[in-house]
Amino acid sequence: METNFIIAGFGGQGVLLAGTVLANAFMLQGKNVTWYPCYGAEMRGGTVNCEIVVSDTEVSSVHKQDTDYALVLNQQSFDRFVQRVKKGGTIIANSTLVEKTKPRYDIHYVFAPMGEIANSLGTSKVTNVVSLGVLSSACEIVSKEFLAKGVEKVLGEKKRDLLPLNNKALALGAEALLQKA
Amino acid sequence: MQQVFSIPKSMKKDFKYTFCPGCDHGIAIRLVAEVIDELGIREDIISSTSVGCSVFLYDFLDVDCVEAPHGRALASATGVKRARPDKIVFTYSGDGDFASIGLAESMHTALRGERVTSFCINNTTYGMTGGQLGPTTMMGQVTTTSPTGRNREYYGYPIKVAEHIALCDGTAYSARVALDSIPHINEAKKAIKKAFQVQLDGLGFGFVEILSSCPTNWHLSPEGAHKRIREEMIPVFPLGVFKDITENK
Amino acid sequence: MTEEKVLIKGNYAIAQAAINAGCQCYFGYPITPQTEIGEYLSGKMQELGRAYVCAESELGAINMVMGAVATGVKAMTSSSSCAVSLMQEALSYAASDELPVVLVNVMRTGPGLGYIYPAQGDYNQAVYGGGNGDYKLIVLAPSTVQECVDLTYRAFYLAQKYRNPTMILADGLLGQMMEPASFGEYPYPEVDVSSWALTGAKGRPARTIYSVATEEKKQIQHIYDLHKKFEVIAENETSYEEFNTEDAEFILVAFGSMTRNIKAAMNVLRAQGKKVGCFRPITLSPFPYKNIKALAEKGKDMIVVEMNMGQMLKDVKYAVEGKSQVSFVNRPCGEWLSVEEIVAAVNEIIAAKEGSISGKEMESRYATSI
Repeated sequence: METNFIIAGFGGQGVLLAGTVLANAFMLQGKNVTWYPCYGAEMRGGTVNCEIVVSDTEVSSVHKQDTDYALVLNQQSFDRFVQRVKKGGTIIANSTLVEKTKPRYDIHYVFAPMGEIANSLGTSKVTNVVSLGVLSSACEIVSKEFLAKGVEKVLGEKKRDLLPLNNKALALGAEALLQKA
Repeated sequence: MQQVFSIPKSMKKDFKYTFCPGCDHGIAIRLVAEVIDELGIREDIISSTSVGCSVFLYDFLDVDCVEAPHGRALASATGVKRARPDKIVFTYSGDGDFASIGLAESMHTALRGERVTSFCINNTTYGMTGGQLGPTTMMGQVTTTSPTGRNREYYGYPIKVAEHIALCDGTAYSARVALDSIPHINEAKKAIKKAFQVQLDGLGFGFVEILSSCPTNWHLSPEGAHKRIREEMIPVFPLGVFKDITENK
Repeated sequence: MTEEKVLIKGNYAIAQAAINAGCQCYFGYPITPQTEIGEYLSGKMQELGRAYVCAESELGAINMVMGAVATGVKAMTSSSSCAVSLMQEALSYAASDELPVVLVNVMRTGPGLGYIYPAQGDYNQAVYGGGNGDYKLIVLAPSTVQECVDLTYRAFYLAQKYRNPTMILADGLLGQMMEPASFGEYPYPEVDVSSWALTGAKGRPARTIYSVATEEKKQIQHIYDLHKKFEVIAENETSYEEFNTEDAEFILVAFGSMTRNIKAAMNVLRAQGKKVGCFRPITLSPFPYKNIKALAEKGKDMIVVEMNMGQMLKDVKYAVEGKSQVSFVNRPCGEWLSVEEIVAAVNEIIAAKEGSISGKEMESRYATSI
């Protein structure tokens, strides 16, 4: 059983890094996983995205036409990837920058003010980590515990001082939906 | 009886002379061999060879050689030197190899300041293929591909290699010498030695452009060819040292 | 390096594996989608006191590798498609000079400049050579990031063992993707190069490494010798993997990262009750002709799946020798053929075989006749 994710936003929002954290989390969980970025010219303007495929068996193609989950941090990415979510799939959007519209009726929508939550921590730079927190409560195969381990792994020894901030971002992201509900 | 002349020890014992009568390649290679003997570096040398008449270097010199495709001698030499910084690396090319097809590799090797030594034979023509216009062919010179002489409209201008190499910051030594007379040959040997010495001292790229005759393709006698070097080439390609970072030290 | 898995990009995996394999020199020029190899090595090689040169061009880079490996050290360069074209002259020289050059081609789209999308259009260039004369490279095609590591190790070993230029033929997808991989230790013995390496003529006659034989007889013998050597390589080193081929009626054949998709397609088709297997050459050169032929002799049909217009297809047809049917499913470049597309194509091929749609109709949809 394969599940795939697209994480997208504009350059500088840290979507590739968020994808790296998610892929590390799956790896640490003992799953097969791949991470594949859009690359080249596309990266130098407009949106950036990466795809994560997780599987209990070997991962087949790393780049797919459609996705189970789309995690989008800006409006452009929402507009583009809402069309690529599988029927019955979920799009999770940063409502700080994305209008709460529902252009299709056959998918689930999750909106959370990821940017505002990040700002409440003093920096919009952790919007990407907040978004992973939101993802963990919207998607049961994403484990909060392993996301935290993934953050730790990606930060490494050199940026260890940023760990408390990122953990806080993850936790607030994960709580965002609970508060609404 | 005192022996005053012998074949340098760095020359192979059983070589067959393959250059045309009167060609200065023989003198140039012998000078390189003498310098290698005097510096005592034969056993540490790895040479990257070129394509053109200069390729025959490995038939004459008793040193390790690796072949490089046409124009890539300096790239190959860079690889050798970076892999074995303790070895002495040199190239011996014609003007076509060094300054036409291989100009990018040659220039960048100088710019990087690779600790290698390079010799470029300038005989104002492509010798091996039978005397065509090359990068150093002089204005007005008739070749098989410039039948009415080199002109600006069709061919543009020749390159002054030693001056260009001297402009590269990585160059430690750049000189132009000639093989047309005994005094010039003696000067040439000094320059060749210096070009090796800057490598031995780890200072940077050592380069010598050597004005040489090609009697066959110039359609001149060996003597007439040397006269041409003196009267036609040297006024355009002046002899001298264009860069020497060891000066005033 | 420990056995612990790390999530790493294919390009970085190749670079780190080169370091572990003892690569002493890297020479390169940037081109998407393999630039990370040079970027990674620029820092690491300097830390380790090994050689790194930002070459002025790919011509410079490959010739620097030739110079370096001639001295007996391990060295490599990496590039992509249109720039690998610039290296073909040197590869021909390296094959003739028997220099253990290691080259990585992370394929992008061609012909010409093409674009940075992944593709598999350089099979012919890698396997049949873009340089002049009768020569062959050893070509290894990884399909996972783990294999980027394993086959980089193997490339350095084979190159020196057989004194033959060796290419790792990856693609933009593999170069750019991350996947968990473990490095372990370089698993091969060090090859003794002392009988030929250039180290200065100290206490031995001078050595010349060159491809010019001015005597005709010597040149003829040289070419025979090179080809005899390659027969030995084919005998000893041909490698492939196969899945469910025993009871299969149809065998999907792919190389490189397309392997992943045919395996997944096979699983879907098996679940639908179709007797489908997979075959995947790991060495594209030497190519596993005998093994494919053996399968064809048992009447198993081949379905070749490639991201090009039919390059490996020819080798499969050559191996099959008309003993079974060979079909082709492809896209020239860009979006990788999805598992669903492959499943649909295979189902039509099976249907055509069973007579429920005409062969002609099927051919017009999926097969490129060559």
